[in-house]
Amino acid sequence: MNAPARPVQPVVEVDWASKNYLVVDDFVGVRQLLRESLRSLGARNIDQASSGGEAMGLLSRIRYDVVLCDYNLGDGKNGQQVLEEARIRNLVNPSTVWLMVSAEKSVESVMGAAEHQPDAYLIKPITEGVLLTRLNRVWHKKQIFRLIDQACAEKDYLRAARMCDAAMETHKAHEIDLLRMKAKLMEKSGDPVRAREAYERVLAQREYQWARAGVARIRMANGEFEQARQAFQSVIAENRYYIDAYDQLALAYQNMGKLDEACAVLERAAKLSPNSVPRQRNLGNVALKLGNVPMAEKAFRKCIAIGEYSIMKTPDAYLGLARVCGQKNDPKEALQLLLQAQREFTGDHPDIALRAKITEGLVYHESGDYRRARKAGDELEALLNATEARPDVATCIELATLLFAVGVKEAPVELLCYVIRNNHDNPLLLDEVQQIFDKARLGDEGLEFIRVSKKEATDLMNQGVLLWKTGRLKEAVGWMRQARRKVPNNQRILFNAAQILVSHLQQHGYDAALSAEAYDVLHHVERLLPGQQRFAQMMEQLAQLQPGADGGTIAEVA
Amino acid sequence: MDDTPEAPELSLFLASTAHDMKNSISVLSGTLERLLVAASPQTESAYPQMAHMLYQTKRLNDNLMQLLALYKQVGTPAYPFDVQPLELGQLVDQVVALERVLLASRGLKLELDYDPSLVWHFDEDLMVGVLSHAINNAIHYTCDTVRLAIRATDDGWLELRVEDNGPGYPPALLRAGAIATRDTAGGMNFLTNSAGLGLYFSSEVARMHRHRDRHGTVRLENGGWYGGGCFILRLP
Repeated sequence: MNAPARPVQPVVEVDWASKNYLVVDDFVGVRQLLRESLRSLGARNIDQASSGGEAMGLLSRIRYDVVLCDYNLGDGKNGQQVLEEARIRNLVNPSTVWLMVSAEKSVESVMGAAEHQPDAYLIKPITEGVLLTRLNRVWHKKQIFRLIDQACAEKDYLRAARMCDAAMETHKAHEIDLLRMKAKLMEKSGDPVRAREAYERVLAQREYQWARAGVARIRMANGEFEQARQAFQSVIAENRYYIDAYDQLALAYQNMGKLDEACAVLERAAKLSPNSVPRQRNLGNVALKLGNVPMAEKAFRKCIAIGEYSIMKTPDAYLGLARVCGQKNDPKEALQLLLQAQREFTGDHPDIALRAKITEGLVYHESGDYRRARKAGDELEALLNATEARPDVATCIELATLLFAVGVKEAPVELLCYVIRNNHDNPLLLDEVQQIFDKARLGDEGLEFIRVSKKEATDLMNQGVLLWKTGRLKEAVGWMRQARRKVPNNQRILFNAAQILVSHLQQHGYDAALSAEAYDVLHHVERLLPGQQRFAQMMEQLAQLQPGADGGTIAEVA
Repeated sequence: MDDTPEAPELSLFLASTAHDMKNSISVLSGTLERLLVAASPQTESAYPQMAHMLYQTKRLNDNLMQLLALYKQVGTPAYPFDVQPLELGQLVDQVVALERVLLASRGLKLELDYDPSLVWHFDEDLMVGVLSHAINNAIHYTCDTVRLAIRATDDGWLELRVEDNGPGYPPALLRAGAIATRDTAGGMNFLTNSAGLGLYFSSEVARMHRHRDRHGTVRLENGGWYGGGCFILRLP
């Protein structure tokens, strides 16, 4: 089977007449014009919205095949925020074509980092012919990427990467895009060597700045911070709007312990792309760490203001600003912010009450009100006693530090032991915990706490491995279940648990419940720390064990 | 320190005004195209005037697009330059789509000579802008045919030619072209008319396209397939 020498565009006519369309523009003349253009393509079902809010209303009721959305929509949500919310709330299908329209070349189109990109950016004026050309192009590209995207969504990154290789053979015009996708997949799979290979293949053809940035990212992950820093800086020199490079450059500086430089880079990025919630949040956090209170305040306030219409908003800016208020000796506004955060973020942020209380304690502690700080500490202890669930590692550390500082004794020890049990093979974290014990004048006790907690985790894991290696698979599965209950967030234990489940499936045949359990375990590890090679390999093994799996052959893409 | 207090507000004001002007031009040209498609010179006595209105609207759009690009500092790293690999078919389809009604309304023929499956790397929006401007310009000088020819040269360039079968560019324009497009950014004294603006814009766009140690160029000459005016853009 020889590949044709020249790429052959599939001559599939798309039936644009039967699709559902949504046109979003605040200017009635443009809406009418676009509607007329769509009608000339045969379209019959065309809805219109004049604002972001109106668009969200329609999107939540109707599934559209094509959305034509202006970027500037006057007051309220802008086009990017409509897109983000529609994607995050699953109001559009993966197959939905989203075209972002603007009057001029938009900076957003070259920033590279935005997680939720439209399928294309169009510049006015848009004639029928241009519209049809771009619709067809996006549609064909979506066909090529459909199965790859699907495998990627299922987190079977290695299979997705193989599909990229296969698609490159037949779709020369999309080779660069496919290489970019493959590189991203290999990065997600914790395989930097092959990711870099893909980026280098791009660079052999053309000097694409995203590929340069990709190589630099890999060097940074490899600990080559200075080389990475230089590479990111030259990317920025070539393209001032490649915002992703600023974030990475700031990270490189942070890794080198140069917080001031990191802060300055984030400040520049926030200036170029002032309407990004995550960027203002990062800037605020770094500025707060540096003790640059005015800059932190400005960034957090901006973050809250632009977050008003964005689904990307999180409580962090409220909590950060509350800290700022505490440091400015204004605990009253701090408390108001904390109340507001708890009102606005409930469902998606189950730990908001805990985090708000931690911040309250910090605010009182930093403003020297030790009586109220201690009261917050006692309330936190009560909150912890009421539930088995523990927040993420960073919050645990912050919380334990605070509790020691305000004079609570038992709860922080319990928290730190929990952290150790769940991260028994992370030497950096062990050091950090030991330092907290030292600071609380519990150095010797801490040493013993750490030893015992480490041993608990190791024993749990070793017993499971022993059962597995001696062929007592069923018992091993049961043991690891119990181990996970005791130590829910230990990555080594989780990976071993998944490995034992996979062995069980391999040796005793497919079992839907065990397979689902293995997937649950793996997804949980990925949430704890994405981009691990063992995750990608086990996801691939597990996918191949599914009944009806194609055993790794390449699905046909048209 | 480069930020003056007024600067952000002024740029915001300019951006939103430009946005609004683009909307108006979109509606104007869209409406005119619709009317022209529905009419014919036989049935509509104002047909030539409508065709001329469309031509002028396109010029207005070209100028606005060029001014916006220059305002955003096209030619420098400050411009949001966006190179992507693209099949020539995709590029030409869009240029044709933008020019089809205008050409037909003036009774002009557009000849195409290119390989639609050839993939090259360029900023699509800028290239559509440069080519449609060159064609609008050729419409002014041609007799009855405009020719768009694109080919990859043996030494690794993409050569895009917009030619016409008119009497050729007047010497003054060729001189302006030579100044506007020469490598060293000559003073602004050639920018006394919109032809200068268009050429300057096109050559800045060409110069932004770099590969290894080469960058794109633009030149004007008389001759080519039909012996008329030729706009020649070369991309590495």
